[in-house]
Amino acid sequence: MVEGTAYSYSKEKEFTGGEDRRYIELNLGPQHPSTHGVYRGVVKLSGETIVDIDSVIGYLHRNHEKIYETMLYPQIVPMTDRFDYLSALTNEMLYVMTVEKALGIEVPERAEYLRVLFCEFQRIMSHEFYFGFFFNDIGALSPFFYVFKDRELSFDLMDRVSGARLFYNYFRIGGLRNDVPDGWLEDLKKFLDHLEGDSLPMFEELMLGNAIFHARTKGVGVLPPDVAIAYGVSGPVLRASGVKWDVRKSDPYSVYDKFDFDVPVGTTGDTYERCIMRFQEIKESIRICRQVMDRLPDGPVMGKVPKGIMKLPKGDYYQRIDSPRGEVGCYIVSDGAQNPYRFKWRSPAFVNLQVLPHLCKGAKLADLIAILASLDPVFGEVDK
Amino acid sequence: MGLMRDIAGTASSIIKGHKVTIGNFFKKPITVRYPEERVDYPKGVRGIPSQKVNPETGDLNCTACGLCARACPVGIIEVKAMVGPDGKKKQYPEVYKLDYTRCLVCNLCVEACPFDALEMSDFTELSQYRSEDLVFNRDQLAEIWKRSNAVRIAGGEKI
Repeated sequence: MVEGTAYSYSKEKEFTGGEDRRYIELNLGPQHPSTHGVYRGVVKLSGETIVDIDSVIGYLHRNHEKIYETMLYPQIVPMTDRFDYLSALTNEMLYVMTVEKALGIEVPERAEYLRVLFCEFQRIMSHEFYFGFFFNDIGALSPFFYVFKDRELSFDLMDRVSGARLFYNYFRIGGLRNDVPDGWLEDLKKFLDHLEGDSLPMFEELMLGNAIFHARTKGVGVLPPDVAIAYGVSGPVLRASGVKWDVRKSDPYSVYDKFDFDVPVGTTGDTYERCIMRFQEIKESIRICRQVMDRLPDGPVMGKVPKGIMKLPKGDYYQRIDSPRGEVGCYIVSDGAQNPYRFKWRSPAFVNLQVLPHLCKGAKLADLIAILASLDPVFGEVDK
Repeated sequence: MGLMRDIAGTASSIIKGHKVTIGNFFKKPITVRYPEERVDYPKGVRGIPSQKVNPETGDLNCTACGLCARACPVGIIEVKAMVGPDGKKKQYPEVYKLDYTRCLVCNLCVEACPFDALEMSDFTELSQYRSEDLVFNRDQLAEIWKRSNAVRIAGGEKI
C-alpha cells in the first residue's frame, strides 16, 4: 500500500482519526499464541511496515523482589525457580552463590562440579525448547514435537535427581540437597549421546538447512554491535552481533575456568545468526557436561553452614552468572537482619526485550513474530 | 537461475522434512494414554507432603513442634498441639492443616522436621471441584501417606 492513496487514507482514518492519519495502531497480545506467554505490543503500522512498537509488560508480575524482603534466606531458594522457569537451576545457582559469597561459605568440590553440570544441562534444555517455539512461530509445527520428545527425556532425568520436573529446588546454600542417584550419570551420558547422535543432526537437516527458514530469517532484524552494547544486551543475542562476551569466560565463577569450551560468536547479528548461536551453544554445553562427568571428584555435596537462623552481615552483595538468556545478576542489600533489606534481580530477558523497537523499525509485520521469538524472552523473568 | 535454485532448495527441504516425518511414523510413541495407562514415578518424587504413620501403633511421628510451619516459605501449615485433661500441652498434633492450593512442593518442611514425621508422597492427582477440598487435615495427610506407601507397608519394610 502506497502512503497517501485514497484507499489507505480512508481506511486509516477509521482506525486512528485525529492528526496522525497515516498510521494504523495494531494491538498484539497478550493472549496471542505467538507472543511467548503474555507479551503485549502496540504496533504502529504504515501499510504492512512497522514504524514503531510499544511493549506493554507486567501481565505476569508477581512482585517477587518485594516479597523476598519478608522471607528468610533459605526460603527464597525455591522461589527463585519462578523467574526464568525454563532454566530454573541457573536462578538457584545465582542466588545461592550470592548468599555464599556474603557468608563466606566454602562449597565442596563435588557440589561445584555438579552445579556446573546441572547449569549446562539446563542450558541444553532451555535452548532446545527455544528451537521448538522459534520454528513454531515461523510456521513449522513438527520441530515442536521432536523437541518435546527430547525435553520429556531430560525432564525424566531431572525428576529422578530432584523429585520435580520444572521447579527443582535442588541447590542449597552451601551445596546440594542430595547427591545424584546411582546410575544417573550413565543415563545422562546416554541422553547426551542420543542428543549428539540422533537429535542434533536431525535438527540441522530438518530445521537449520530449511530453505523457508533461511528466507524468513536472513537479514531480518539486524542488531549492530554498538547498539547491542548501548542497550546492555547480553547472552546469545549479543554474541550473534559479534561481541565476544560471556561471563563464564570473561569473569569465571564456580569452576568454569577448569573446563575447555568455546564461546560461539556470530558476525551479522540477524535473526538467523541468533538461532545458530543457540544451536552451537548446545554443542558446547554437551562438551562441558562430558568434561564434568569425566573429572567428577568424590566427596560430600554439602558444606558447613552456620547453625541457627541465617543472617547476612551488613553490606551490599552482587553476583552475576551467564544464564541461557544472558547475564543475570543478583543484588542483595542486607542490614544484618534475617531478611534481605533490598533484593534486585537483573533479568537478561527484560534487558534484551528493550532492543525490540530498534530491530522492528522498517520490518514487516510478519517478521515481528520471528524477531520477538529470536530474542527468546521468558515472561516469568521479564515481569518478575 | 535464481528462481530455479530457490525452487530446487525448497523442494529438497520438503523432501528432507518428509523423510523425518515418515521415519518417525514407524517408531513407537513415547507417550502413554494417560488415564488408562500410567508411568511409574521415580523414587523420591515430590507430590504433596504427608504425615508418616507408625504402622504398628497407628500413631503419627509428629510432636507438634511447629518447625515445619516456620520453615514453609508461603506459610500454609497450621499446627496446634493437643491439650490433655490436666491443661498441659501434649506432644501430639490436634490440628495439622496444609493448604495445598498454595503449596510450592518445595520439600523445605520435610527437611526442617527433626522427628522424621513428614514425607513427600507420590500423590499428585489433586483435581477437586472446590478449593476448600484441597485444605488437608491431619487424618487426611496420614491417609495419603498410607496410600502412597501401601507397597512398603504390606512388605513389612521398616519405616
